[in-house]
Amino acid sequence: MTPAQTALLVLLSPLASAVLIVLFLGRKGTAASALSVLASALVALGALSLAFGGQRFAVSHEWLRFGAFSVRLGFLYDDLAALMLCIVGVVGLCVHVFSLGYMHDDGAKARYFAGLSVFMFSMIGIVLADNLFMMFMFWELVGFSSYFLINHWHEKKAASDAAKKAFIVNRVGDFGFLLGIILCYWWNESANFADISADHVYSRLIPLLLFCGAVGKSAQLPLQVWLPDAMEGPTPVSALIHAATMVAAGIYMLCRISALVVPDAATVIAWVGTLTALYAALCAVTQRDIKKVLAYSTLSQLGYMVAAFGLGSVGGAMFHLTTHAFFKALLFLGSGSVIYGCHHEQDIFRMGGLRTRMPVTFWTFTIAVAAIVGLPGLAGFFSKDAILVLAYERSPAVFAVLAFTAILTAFYMLRLWKIVFLGKPRSESSEHAHEGGLSLTAPLVLLAALSVAGGYTGIYGRAFEGVFSLIPEAAGTTHLVILATSLVVLALGAGTALAFYATDGTDALESGYPGVFAFLSSLRGSFDKAYDYYVAKVQQRAAIALNFIDIVALAGVAVRGFAGAVEIVGFGIRALHTGRLSSYVYWFLGGVVVLWAFAAGVL
Amino acid sequence: MTPALEAYVMLSAALFAIGFLGVLVRRNTLVIFMCLELMLVAASLALVAFSRFNGTEDGDVFVFFILTVAAAEVAVGLAIIVALFRARQTIQVDQLDSLKH
Amino acid sequence: MEHIAFTGLSVFTLAFAAGVVLSKNAVNGAMCLLLCLAGVAGLFLQLHAYLLAFILILVYAGAVVALFLFIIMLLDMQGGQPVRLRGLQAFAGAVAAGLLVTGLNLLAVRGRLFDTPPDGHSVGASLRLYSYQLFTTYLLPVQVMGFLLLIAMLGVIVLSRRTREPEDAP
Repeated sequence: MTPAQTALLVLLSPLASAVLIVLFLGRKGTAASALSVLASALVALGALSLAFGGQRFAVSHEWLRFGAFSVRLGFLYDDLAALMLCIVGVVGLCVHVFSLGYMHDDGAKARYFAGLSVFMFSMIGIVLADNLFMMFMFWELVGFSSYFLINHWHEKKAASDAAKKAFIVNRVGDFGFLLGIILCYWWNESANFADISADHVYSRLIPLLLFCGAVGKSAQLPLQVWLPDAMEGPTPVSALIHAATMVAAGIYMLCRISALVVPDAATVIAWVGTLTALYAALCAVTQRDIKKVLAYSTLSQLGYMVAAFGLGSVGGAMFHLTTHAFFKALLFLGSGSVIYGCHHEQDIFRMGGLRTRMPVTFWTFTIAVAAIVGLPGLAGFFSKDAILVLAYERSPAVFAVLAFTAILTAFYMLRLWKIVFLGKPRSESSEHAHEGGLSLTAPLVLLAALSVAGGYTGIYGRAFEGVFSLIPEAAGTTHLVILATSLVVLALGAGTALAFYATDGTDALESGYPGVFAFLSSLRGSFDKAYDYYVAKVQQRAAIALNFIDIVALAGVAVRGFAGAVEIVGFGIRALHTGRLSSYVYWFLGGVVVLWAFAAGVL
Repeated sequence: MTPALEAYVMLSAALFAIGFLGVLVRRNTLVIFMCLELMLVAASLALVAFSRFNGTEDGDVFVFFILTVAAAEVAVGLAIIVALFRARQTIQVDQLDSLKH
Repeated sequence: MEHIAFTGLSVFTLAFAAGVVLSKNAVNGAMCLLLCLAGVAGLFLQLHAYLLAFILILVYAGAVVALFLFIIMLLDMQGGQPVRLRGLQAFAGAVAAGLLVTGLNLLAVRGRLFDTPPDGHSVGASLRLYSYQLFTTYLLPVQVMGFLLLIAMLGVIVLSRRTREPEDAP
């Protein structure tokens, strides 16, 4: 089996699973879940074998042709795609297995697993795509899968609202993305990633427009509003889509178009990422819902990745994406285990004392927290430091902000960890918390192992050399500076959080510094309020004006005006039908006169 | 002094115009019809004049046809008027305007 | 001599034609038409179309006008209404008629009215010549005329049928 065929199999098996579930297994939840997990296992196996088998390839077929314009479908399987595919495959498999246990009692299991399979298909399509048009198709499909899965419990109004919001905000970003694709195609005569280059008139506009797509999909400022709301979906969905893979698709796309990015655009991208990281970290400090904290944490880490890319390193961004996929998926699945154990309780101030009651979850969650705050030796430490090195060398301002954000990261993650797991149980449900079955704990263990080991690029062998060779390395004194910075950041953030927050069921910040708390809480809603204002005042008024124009000009003048004009002409013609003989004779004479004039050459 | 062709043509034109005036102005359908006949007669006068002045007999022969057609037309036309009278009880043209919008 | 006859006949004709148009009573109008036709017959005679003149009297004055009189008597015996020539209508009619005359004359007349004698002598207006033409050059129109007369006859028969009431005896 050639690599291309393997890749095709990897792409199509989730699609086949989804189609079979939809057509035949609509009511048979267990069979559907088994089929979906099987497809996901196939994907993971295929991805790993392709990546570590060492073959890289590119194939392309023409699909549509309109004169000179052609849309091609093809696979571009290089190191970048190999890495991303492995992440998608492994994390996807963990999430699928976890869902077996988590969604065991759900009523619409088949629908859920069909959605997961469709998502896998779409995501693999994005990873393997070799040109922007194909990527855009799968991009939209992924957006649809996200909508479908967030909307899983559609009886809840909050869930359907969140799904709509996610889709619409994504669409806004995709508008810019599509404009970018069209411009790119127009200037480069090709949308293929191998062919595009940056030497033309719109060299700054095109990457920024394409970045709009990443802003929407990866939830950067100002289109980040959908991600916290997307937590209405089931937790495995949040783990897979809104932490590890879909939101990372934006970063992946940026890495693919890195040939187009000119320094001016890169600066903008870097600052958008940095500010997003800071904003999200500030918002996360005051959250009560365990999943919302993790959502803001995801936003923040995505900001890091975008900033790394903007500072010029594809390797740095992808490395952090890899480690983040592992520990963020672990965090989400761990929180899923906690939620499941506490009988679907999500408020952290009603948890507590879970350290003794859910040991596996506790230890894996701890490893994940350590990874994200950058405890030396774990995966997150290496990737975050790589970004800090980059920032230190390229832009001190970005470095300062990112370092401060790292402090905040440590702060809120430790807050979460302490309040959820330590102390005494603060509610009935956490009192009776228990560990889930093997299907819930096995993925946690696997991801924990990856969070520990994933940062040592040596373990991957030569498989992803193309990407990992681009990771920024520190040299000389920079090495020590960065190391010192990260240790200081860790101590500061973690220590403050552990000391400050008590495990007595109240938010110490809220009670101690109400002003600060109020400010940080308001940050969260500020964008939503701004959008509401815009829609209500600006957009609605524009819509009303357009409606007015439509009623007056289009319906009134154009449509009824034409009808009126025709009526008037008809009126005039009607007046000719007098029924009186004499008037008919006059008209006759008139005609004769005209003919005479014609004949005499006058007319 | 013999009347030239133009004289006959002018006379024919005048007769035609009088007939035309009658068609336009009179309201009695039968009188309108009679004026129509006047116009036909005027045309046949012109034809005969032309045939005389050109030295052929084509115009004369054509008058034969005109007479035939006039007779047929009068017959049918009067039959229509009688039928109309039976339907509408009137022969005043300005009362026969049911084709009006 | 000729032109006196011509002038007299033309005045006669035009006067009675005006009479047709202006007469109050339809019967009077029919009588005027009769005399107008007589005038035209006279003009035909002056144009050496003797046969046609008599045929005109026979067919037109004899049959057509008689038919007119019949129908007038049938339909119109409540007496004529005065010809109320309303202002605008009269004016429009006069304009129209004037236009007609002018138009026709502009096209036809080139100035002299009473000068040129007819060039070429008149063909002897004999029945033999006419019939020769009718049966050779104009055969098709003759056949068409026959057809026309047939249609007219059928039309008149159809038109003069009484609309049957349902309860009438067939």
